[in-house]
Amino acid sequence: MIVKYVLGCAAMLAGASMLYGCTAPQPRQELFTPTDAQMKIRSAQSRTFEVKDRAVAMRGVIAALQDLGFIIERANEPLGLVTAARFAEPNYYDVLGVTVTVRPQDDDKTMIRANAIYNNKPIEDPKVYQNFFASLERSLFITKN
Amino acid sequence: MPKLDRVIRFRLLACALPLLLSGCVEATQPAELFQLSPESTQNRSMQTRMFETSNDKELLSASAASLQDLGFQIEESVREVGFLRATKERSAREYGQYIGRFFVFLLSLGHGLMPVDLHQKIAAALVTRPLNEAGTRQEVRIMFYRVIWKGDGQSDRTYIPPGGQMMEMIRDPEIYQQFFAKLSKAVFLEPHTI
Repeated sequence: MIVKYVLGCAAMLAGASMLYGCTAPQPRQELFTPTDAQMKIRSAQSRTFEVKDRAVAMRGVIAALQDLGFIIERANEPLGLVTAARFAEPNYYDVLGVTVTVRPQDDDKTMIRANAIYNNKPIEDPKVYQNFFASLERSLFITKN
Repeated sequence: MPKLDRVIRFRLLACALPLLLSGCVEATQPAELFQLSPESTQNRSMQTRMFETSNDKELLSASAASLQDLGFQIEESVREVGFLRATKERSAREYGQYIGRFFVFLLSLGHGLMPVDLHQKIAAALVTRPLNEAGTRQEVRIMFYRVIWKGDGQSDRTYIPPGGQMMEMIRDPEIYQQFFAKLSKAVFLEPHTI
């Protein structure tokens, strides 16, 4: 008798847990709220340059990416977008992708933001972006003169 | 028992081989990839030529024409920043690889069948840009790279499905020289054609 009772309870529990699995998980609220880490990453990814013209800034970005060995995949002048990728040489299995946006600001300066991904994983190391902006600075200086 | 032993040894070898091979290339850290490498100046000079012209539109269309002459299809173009991207697809079959495949098959007593290159896609990304304020000197930079698709193979009893991919940058100076020889001809000839 007791065995039957215990078995029944177990079955009910199992059924309940199965039903519980059926309810779709609710998206968590905090997924879309900005976090400190996000702000930090954004500031590492953005830099303002003393360039007036968007086309000049874009050509500078493209030249810098080419110097770094990137293949330019897409460019959109009106939106100031450049997308490029390169292999993580010397191996050809890992791919490094980058999207750069160029946005002119009101004060005759241009804001440049870069987002880099390594094998479909975003890069959050600020040093990567520092290196990129160092190359970009050099390239913009050459383009200007 | 000795037969089983041999099978195990073969499996171990088959497992160890890719590990050994992968040890040959060290993984590069993303931070290093955003730094200029010592070869970058050399690559730059190989991939770049200057032209004494103020007509950037003409230069870009001549570049497109040269790429078309070489059998490329233009996939994307943005005139405002002087950008072109073109590709061509060709067979990647080579006799050498088939001979290698045959000997590997023989030496492994029919256990190993090496995948060979079947198909490749060669791509070019080209950018023109003015070098001075007035725009009377223009620079053309082109980069070639290719993606190779492999056929099927076999390692012991494991079937290797076709479609394995390999990518590489093309760093052969001759290919770049060929392209620029074509382009300078096109730049010279085009103003005369009506």
